[in-house]
Amino acid sequence: MRQRTTFFHRNEDAIDPASLQVSGRTLSGPSIKAVREDRFTLGLDELPAELQELLRLSQELYIRWASPVPYQAIGPWSSRLSPGLHVFYTPQADAKANVASDHELCLLLRRLGSVECSTPHKSFSRLPNDRFSHSTALEYYQPVYDLSNFVEYVVQYACAPSDAECKTRFDAVKQASSLDFSYDTISHVVKVTSLWGRQHQPLSISAPASHRVEVGLLTPNEPPHLEQHEIGVTGLLTVLGEDSKPAPTMFTFPSRHKQANTGFSSTFLTPTGLHPTMQLHIDSNQPPMEEDSYCALHALLTLPRTIFADKYQLEDTLFLASKNLTALQYISQPVDLEAPDYVMDIWGSSVLLELSTPVTESKEGFTAEIPLHLRYQSPQHGSESTFEVPYPAVFWACAAEEGTKFPSSPFDRINLGYDGLFGPRTLFWHLDPVAKSGSDQLVIGGKVPVLDLDKSRSINTVTSIVVVVGFAWVVYRLLMVYLRTGYGVAQPVKAAEKKQQ
Amino acid sequence: MHFRLHGRLPAARRPARLRTLARRKLPLKYTDIDYLVFTDAAWFTFSSPSSSSSSSRFSGLLPQGSPYDRETYRYTPLLAYLLWPTTPAAAAWLPGPWVLWASWGKILFAAADLAAGWLLVAVLRRHRGLSGPRALQYVGAIWLLNPMVATISTRGSSEGLLGVLVAALLWAVHERRVVLAGFLLGLGVHFKIYPFIYAPAIVWWMDAERMGRGQRSSSSSSRSRNGGLLLAKLQRFVTPERVVLALVSLATFAALNVAMYALYGHDFLQHTFLHHVTRIDHRHNFSPYNVLLYLASAAQQQESTGAGGFKIESVAFVPQLLLSVVLIPLVGAKKDLAATMLAQTFAFVTFNKVCTSQYFLWYMVFLPLYLPNSSLTRRPRLGLAALGFWVAAQAAWLQQGYELEFLGRSTFAPGLWWASLAFFLVNCWILGLIISDLGISSSTVSISSTKPKRKN
Repeated sequence: MRQRTTFFHRNEDAIDPASLQVSGRTLSGPSIKAVREDRFTLGLDELPAELQELLRLSQELYIRWASPVPYQAIGPWSSRLSPGLHVFYTPQADAKANVASDHELCLLLRRLGSVECSTPHKSFSRLPNDRFSHSTALEYYQPVYDLSNFVEYVVQYACAPSDAECKTRFDAVKQASSLDFSYDTISHVVKVTSLWGRQHQPLSISAPASHRVEVGLLTPNEPPHLEQHEIGVTGLLTVLGEDSKPAPTMFTFPSRHKQANTGFSSTFLTPTGLHPTMQLHIDSNQPPMEEDSYCALHALLTLPRTIFADKYQLEDTLFLASKNLTALQYISQPVDLEAPDYVMDIWGSSVLLELSTPVTESKEGFTAEIPLHLRYQSPQHGSESTFEVPYPAVFWACAAEEGTKFPSSPFDRINLGYDGLFGPRTLFWHLDPVAKSGSDQLVIGGKVPVLDLDKSRSINTVTSIVVVVGFAWVVYRLLMVYLRTGYGVAQPVKAAEKKQQ
Repeated sequence: MHFRLHGRLPAARRPARLRTLARRKLPLKYTDIDYLVFTDAAWFTFSSPSSSSSSSRFSGLLPQGSPYDRETYRYTPLLAYLLWPTTPAAAAWLPGPWVLWASWGKILFAAADLAAGWLLVAVLRRHRGLSGPRALQYVGAIWLLNPMVATISTRGSSEGLLGVLVAALLWAVHERRVVLAGFLLGLGVHFKIYPFIYAPAIVWWMDAERMGRGQRSSSSSSRSRNGGLLLAKLQRFVTPERVVLALVSLATFAALNVAMYALYGHDFLQHTFLHHVTRIDHRHNFSPYNVLLYLASAAQQQESTGAGGFKIESVAFVPQLLLSVVLIPLVGAKKDLAATMLAQTFAFVTFNKVCTSQYFLWYMVFLPLYLPNSSLTRRPRLGLAALGFWVAAQAAWLQQGYELEFLGRSTFAPGLWWASLAFFLVNCWILGLIISDLGISSSTVSISSTKPKRKN
């Protein structure tokens, strides 16, 4: 196992390097206002047996969790996902393995929270798989907003029952802003990464004898030759147990994800009815790069199956323009436009929309509106159920210069659900999600009217009675006609009678 | 611009931009969602699956794609074929700007309404003894100028096509054009299933006397023999016309289905026919069963409410088919075919598990034939009361539906449920009035007096 812990702080939050103390396998210092990332690299044999089993049956597996609590991202960790649990998965091509892993993966996921996944075959959506695409085959999402179940699972496996210090260390993960698990058959290692947003962090790290720990204290740096797709950093690196004092370092690396340094918020217009409209407030209409590069603002919606977008409705350019939308660029398949929530197995759908930004000289905020539709939900006690939708990920996608390469960087994330939908030379400039006033979570929602079970006890009986009464009345009328005139032509008498009128 | 998305939409989705070009000129708010489904389906049908450069000049004329690539297209491919002029493939062949042809379907559906009207006038004049102007008055007032009919067709709903098919069927039967009637019946059932209910009525109506065959002698001779009474009755029932009607309609229906199955395989079966068997119908609609079906479909999913208790929704087809296929034709067909077909359709729609306002067009087409001699017009108060109740129950339902759909209030029970039951009872009462009129209909007289002479 290897561990890499990185603190990334703004220049003004720097601490005096002299205050850092390295003694033996421990580094300590004053607390620092920074983003912290812990990355653990593990071999397969270091994992629980059931997980080893699952990974042997998988080609790629990325499990990503993002917190519903807003956090400030700085430095290389600017890529964003909708809050909740995302799974990107490619099973082994072997069909036999497929069946087995089907079972295993959902079993594992269910340990991470109240996950409804039955099998990937039924519950996952398929990602586009053409020859350019470098994304996984399948996607799954579940609105899991809390990592306690996961932490309990890990503590059970990783900590001895008496080891309180171990438990405390893992407890900190409950406050993490994001948590990533990545595995692919090519590297054959598992990387687990947890990230805490910019806040005061205690600076005290000890390395157990069993594994190598590298600690970095980094801050942005802009050398004169820095390209727009690169990030420059400078700071101190320490390998615990090897270095006696932090070593200064300075480097640049290409990064596909950057910060747009502007924000957005999301809300539903009221009344939501059965056709809620999601409104996005974007703080600035100005693209993050100079005029000569092509940039377009996008929103990636992650919609649990209760709510969906109608791709046919989102085809009409006039309609889209009136909502400040340009086009529906991608929608996961299939999306049933008619089925009620309670007969579906699939998790939901993801929707990539290009937004149209009003062109103005100066920076200006604007809103875009996305029409969505609710499914019928199961009848229940009480007349209203609720639906929740995580904030979308909103970013500018810009074309990097001709010939730009993005070799794997030490910090970049790949397979986020949207990166595979763009070309390899795309730069993503992420907007910071800002919670609406009165809420501290990046989750919005509303009420879904449902049939109230308390008011429906008599529905079966009364409907049956009414139908039978209606039927009986019509049959009685038929019988009267039959008794008077039989089934043949109407009697001449009647006709004559009629003529007199 | 060197920015490209290559998580590209699958080939079938690419036409989107082109299709919206056509829609740009349409007043979208007025256009029915179904019209977009039909035109999309036509687009898919007449676009080649791969953009092969070797495709000939005529490729735009051939249905190379499948209409079922459009989700929620639940109709025969014939409908998509009819809308060929709305596709870009047709642009090379048609004069004028293509965007104008985008409304072709609406023009077609409205023309179908007019054609249905013309056929109704013909039936009224030739078989019901009405003068031309009087017939035109009735058809104009009840069908052609009916705001409901005009709105539904010009918004782009295809029910108008069913209207003209059914009117033509009735006309052909009255004209004793048995082969044509059989063809129209087969086509109608292929188009929308429900016209099969007319088969027993037409067959029952089509007895030997009506078809101008004097079979009195043979029938009296067979009646004298004791044992063969049933056999004789059966012999009298199986007339050449009935056999021809059955054969032609079945052959038409089968040939169309075989052709469509050969072209589109299981998709055709699934979306045109099987879908109607497996659908849940949980969304709110006028049917008396709708809230019950919502409740039952969820309960079935949870499997919590056991198998106990009688479930009316699982036998909903019994009262519906008993009335519309057996009892009403048996009692009414020989008395007044048009009024019987009206009553059949009314019963079918009223007792159906799903019911929307478009279904009302199915029976409205018969109203010009029924109303002139009906108790509803002879007793205006009764007629106005029937209309008033019919409209009021719908208005109550629509108000509850608006609160649910747009304000998000849970009006399923009791609001929507009561409104749909009230509407059902109003419909049953009106159906009872129509059926009573069968017994005192004067049309039998006029029909026998205006029997066409061409057979003699």
